[in-house]
Amino acid sequence: MDVTEILKSLTGTFPEAISEATAKSEIRARAYVDKEKVKEVCQYLKDSLQFDHLCSVCGVDYIKWNELEVVYHIASYNHPVVLTLKARLPRDNPEIESVVPVYWNANWYERETYELYGIKFKNHPNLKPLLLPEDMLGEWPLRKDYEGFPNKTARNLV
Amino acid sequence: MGEVKEKKTSKLDETSEEIPGVITTTTSAIHNLLKKTKAQDLINWGRKNSMWFMTQPMGCCGVEMIAAGCAHYDTDRFGIIPRNSPRHADVMIISGYVTKKYLPALKRLWEQMPAPKWVICMGDCSISGGPFYESYSTVQNIDEIFPVDVFIPGCPPRPEALLQGFVELQGKIKAKKDRGTEY
Amino acid sequence: MEEMLEPNEMIIHLGPQHPMQPGPFRLNLKLKGETVMDAEVELGYIHKGIEKILENKTYLQGITIVDRICYLVALTNEECYVGCVEKLLDIEPPERAQYIRVILEELTRLQSHLLGTGEFGGFIGFVSMLMYTIKEREDLLSLIDMVTGARITHSFLRFGGVRDDLPPGFKEKTLPVLNNLKKVINDFEEMFHSDRVYKERTVGVGVLTADVAKSLGVSGPALRATGVPFDIRKNEPYLVYNDLDFKVCTETAGDCFARVQVRLNEMRESIYIIEQCLDQIPNGPIFPENSLYGRRTPVMRVPAGEVFHRVEDPRGEMGMYMVSDGSDKPYRVKVRGPVYPTLQALPPLIKGTTVADIAAISGSMDGCTSEADR
Repeated sequence: MDVTEILKSLTGTFPEAISEATAKSEIRARAYVDKEKVKEVCQYLKDSLQFDHLCSVCGVDYIKWNELEVVYHIASYNHPVVLTLKARLPRDNPEIESVVPVYWNANWYERETYELYGIKFKNHPNLKPLLLPEDMLGEWPLRKDYEGFPNKTARNLV
Repeated sequence: MGEVKEKKTSKLDETSEEIPGVITTTTSAIHNLLKKTKAQDLINWGRKNSMWFMTQPMGCCGVEMIAAGCAHYDTDRFGIIPRNSPRHADVMIISGYVTKKYLPALKRLWEQMPAPKWVICMGDCSISGGPFYESYSTVQNIDEIFPVDVFIPGCPPRPEALLQGFVELQGKIKAKKDRGTEY
Repeated sequence: MEEMLEPNEMIIHLGPQHPMQPGPFRLNLKLKGETVMDAEVELGYIHKGIEKILENKTYLQGITIVDRICYLVALTNEECYVGCVEKLLDIEPPERAQYIRVILEELTRLQSHLLGTGEFGGFIGFVSMLMYTIKEREDLLSLIDMVTGARITHSFLRFGGVRDDLPPGFKEKTLPVLNNLKKVINDFEEMFHSDRVYKERTVGVGVLTADVAKSLGVSGPALRATGVPFDIRKNEPYLVYNDLDFKVCTETAGDCFARVQVRLNEMRESIYIIEQCLDQIPNGPIFPENSLYGRRTPVMRVPAGEVFHRVEDPRGEMGMYMVSDGSDKPYRVKVRGPVYPTLQALPPLIKGTTVADIAAISGSMDGCTSEADR
C-alpha cells in the first residue's frame, strides 16, 4: 500500500474529520483528526487500510498554544507505513474518546497518558494510574508547567 | 482459657524470680554479654563468611549483580550466595533507583530479613540519584532510611567492584564496625 | 478484582520482589484452587520519568539517559534515539560507522538472547541453564567492552557516527568467540530437545495464535513464534541491513518452547550477520566528512520537526517519537518499548493456566521491567 493512496482513501472517507493530511516520506504520514471522530477513524483504518498494529499513544503539551495533543502512531504488520494521527485538545478540560474497543493494547497507553498529562479518555474500561503512585495523581508531571521538577539542575548547564 | 493461662505464666514469673542462687536472663542479655567477649570474634568470623544476599534486580546494577552471582564471577567462593527470599538473606543490595512507589515495598523487604543484616548501596542511583537525581519519581538519601554499610560507586559498577564491596563489608564485620549490629 | 470472592477462591500477589521477575512489578492473581481466574499487572515500581528527564537534557546528554531505558540492550536504544536525531538533522553516518553499529547491535542481541534464555531456564527450575548462558555472555560482553569501554551502558553512538573505531585485532578476537557460541547454541538446542521435563514444562504452555498476538500488539520473538515474519530489519530497513543476508526466524507453535527456539535461531542469524559484517566492513572515516557533528558536539541545535523512528530491539519493535522545537533540547520524546505490550499481554495469556505455568509463560516472553516503566 502506498502513502498517497492511504491518505486519499482516508480523506475521502472522512472529509470533515481529517485535516492537514501530509506524507512525510514514503513510509511516514501525518494527519490531524477531529477529537470526536477518533474511534471511527481508527476503526476504518483497522478494517479497510490494514492498520492493525497500534505502536503507541502519547500526549504532547504545547503550552504556547494552550493545547494538548494526543498522538497515535498506527502501523501495520503487513506494510511499513506508520500513520501519525493527532488530535488537538484544550488544555483546561481535555477529553477524548478511548480507542480501546478498536485496539486492545491502547489500554495501558491511555492510562499512562491520563496520569502523566491529565487527558481523560471517555469509555475507557479501567482508567486509573499505572506508573505513578496514587497520591501523585493530579500533578500531571509531564506537562510543561509541572513544578515538582527541579529545573535549576540541568536546564542551564549548556 | 485465657485467664487461666495468664495466671499460670504470672505464677511462673514469680517463682522464677524467687529461686535463690539462680540468675535469670534473656536472649538479648546473652548477646550483650557476648559482644564484650572474644566469643563475638568467632561469631563474626562465621557471619562474614556466609553473607547471603537477596537477588532483587532493580536496575542496571541488578544485571551486574546477577552476573556477579553466576558462573563467571562466582561469588560462591567467598560464601556469598544469591538467595531469592528475603527471609534467607543477610545482605540487601539496593541495586538501582528507589522510587516513591517502591520504597514501602523495600522497607517491608528489609523488615522481613532476619537480623543480623546489612545493606549495600550499589551504583550511583542508590547513593545520590545518579543520572535520575532530578526525576519526579525517585527518592534521594537512601542512607537516611537504611543503615548502609558499603557504597559502591559506578554506573553501573562492574561485578569486580561488587566483590570488592563485599570484601570491604567483611572487613567491617571483622573489625566490629558495621552498622548492621549494635556493639 | 474487587468483587466478592467465591468460596475456595483467593487473591495472591506475586511481587514486587519475586524470583521469577526480571525487575519489580506486581502480578495480582485471583486463584480458584490452582487455576488462575483473573490477573492484573501493576507497574511503576521503577518508573524513573526518563521522558521528562530527556526534555531537560541536551541531545548529547540524552544518549546517556536512553542507555538506561533497558540496560540489556543499551545500544539498540541508542540506535533508536540517535536515528531520530539523524533523521531530524538529515545526516547519514558513513558506511564504516554503520557497519560498526550493526556489529555491536548484533552482539547486543546475542547477549540479550543468551540472558533471556538463561533466565527462562532459571524461572522453570533449571538454574544451571543460567550459569551456562552467563558464562558465554561474559565473552560477548568483553568483546563489546573492548570497543565501547563499558559492559552494559555504553554511550557509544554519536549523531552521524560512532565514538570510536574498532580496536586493532577485533576481528581476530571475535571469530573464535562466535565459533564457540555456535557450538554452544547447538548444545543448548540438543539439551532442550532431549529433556523430557523441560518439554513438559514448555510445549503447549502459554499458546499464542497469530491473530491473538497481533491484536494484543505483541512484537519480537513472541510474535515470530506464532508464524508472523514481522521484523523491522526487513520491513523497514535501517543502517546497512539491506545489504546483509539474513532470514527472519519463525516458528508456528506459538508456545513457550517455540519462543525459546526462535531466540536460539535468531542467535545463529546474528552470528551470521556479524561474520558478514566483519568480512565486508570498508575502511574510511567514522563521521561524515565536512560535518559539524563529531565526537564532541556539546551545543547543537536541531531543526524543528517531528519524527518517529523504529528499530528492531532483541525483544521486539522499539520506536521513539521525537518532537523538536529548534532548540538544543528535545521538546518531547516518547519511548515506545517492546516490553510494554508484552507485559500487557501477560494477563490474558495466564488466564486459565495453573500457577506453576506463570513463571514459564512470563519468562518466555523475556520481559524487562525497566523498559516498561521507563
